[in-house]
Amino acid sequence: MRNDDCALIRRVLAGEKDAYGLLVAHHSQSVFRVAFRITENQADADEVVQETFLRGYRKLQDFDARSNFGTWVYRIAINCALDVLHKQKSQNLVPIAEEYDSELPTVQVADGAAGPDRLLLSREIETRRRAAMGQLTPIERIAFVMRHLEERSTEEIAGALGVAPNAAKQAVFRAVKKLRQSLAPLWVSHEALNRRRNDRALLL
Amino acid sequence: MKHLTEEEMIGHFYSEDLCQAEVEIHLQACRQCAHAYEEFSKLLRNVQAPGVPLRGTEYGAQVWQSIQGSLQPYRPMRKRRIFSWPQFAYAAACLLFLAGAFWAGRFWEHAHSKPLVAGGEPQTKQRVVLFVLDNHFDRSERLLIHLNHAGGEGDYVDFPLQAEAQQLLSDNQLYRQSAAQANDPLLDAALDHLERVLLEVANSGHQLTSRDIAGIQQEMNTQGLLFQIRILRARISEQKTNAHAMRKGANT
Repeated sequence: MRNDDCALIRRVLAGEKDAYGLLVAHHSQSVFRVAFRITENQADADEVVQETFLRGYRKLQDFDARSNFGTWVYRIAINCALDVLHKQKSQNLVPIAEEYDSELPTVQVADGAAGPDRLLLSREIETRRRAAMGQLTPIERIAFVMRHLEERSTEEIAGALGVAPNAAKQAVFRAVKKLRQSLAPLWVSHEALNRRRNDRALLL
Repeated sequence: MKHLTEEEMIGHFYSEDLCQAEVEIHLQACRQCAHAYEEFSKLLRNVQAPGVPLRGTEYGAQVWQSIQGSLQPYRPMRKRRIFSWPQFAYAAACLLFLAGAFWAGRFWEHAHSKPLVAGGEPQTKQRVVLFVLDNHFDRSERLLIHLNHAGGEGDYVDFPLQAEAQQLLSDNQLYRQSAAQANDPLLDAALDHLERVLLEVANSGHQLTSRDIAGIQQEMNTQGLLFQIRILRARISEQKTNAHAMRKGANT
């Protein structure tokens, strides 16, 4: 794959523009995945994908042939997503879902029982998670998504965000703290509910 | 070990702390921390990503279609030569200009500078001759004075007087030859006379007695020679002054 990418890049730089279409086809899915995880919005994610490949094409001359194109374009995608988040923050357009949207995927909790109370809790957790994510700064949000969901190392996060590794680590810490503060009360009540349910079952 | 902080728990959860084993041992030993960490990790594990909407296999093509209109094809890069002809010509022109400037500077310097050592100039040569002669006569005069007063001081003349006479003798021979070539009879006669006196003093052996000196004074007429030398020194001094005045006039 890497050799293919390098060959395609050489063709693009030699004037064969359409070869870039193949690179877009190879990497668009992974770019969309990370863009959606950060923005949590399909339209924004599509915008990030387009902007990523546009920037990638314009900076292709600066691409170091020794590095991996996938990693390179991933970093560009992170920066594009960061720009989108900054734009949303500046315009106060952070989409915080107050009402549960049935089309959106739900949080998967460990308990398999899907009673009415369980569904209600899932909706509440998702709403709170979204709200908590909306309260994170763009850097914290991206750092958390990269660390927690994409399972990237601190060095990779730092490299993508252009900050020191310690700053990236602190961003993850701050994000986790905020999420915990937001979700912990809900989780405690959920545990209490489970305990009550188990006690009732034992009594019967 | 103290109880785990929230940051330590976060680091441990993401396997980023440097002392993993130490934290693990603490968690096994401390029930309070173990419980807190269990709650913490359970919460974090349940924060999962929203499912990513599926994008079909044509998604890449769609993205490409949407952006390709705004992209300009790259121009094929030409291979760069280290020295192309225009660059070479430019470098050669610069080199030529520098060489020209260097030679022009040298010619200009030659044309406008005055030689510091003008060995060929007769005035300068004359000044040097006068200076050397004046110095020679000065030393000879002191020797003769010493010689004239040595007769009554003791039995023997000290060794430095003879050594000085030997040194002056070799110089005097050269000056005398030069004076003979320059057709200066007065100078030639004085130097000849001086040479004979110096020869006598230098070759008298180490034990030059007062009697020997008295003999030399009478035979060689050292008093007369001293007078001659003083006259010559006065003439040399005058010539030096004239030469100095001429030099000043030439410079202005």
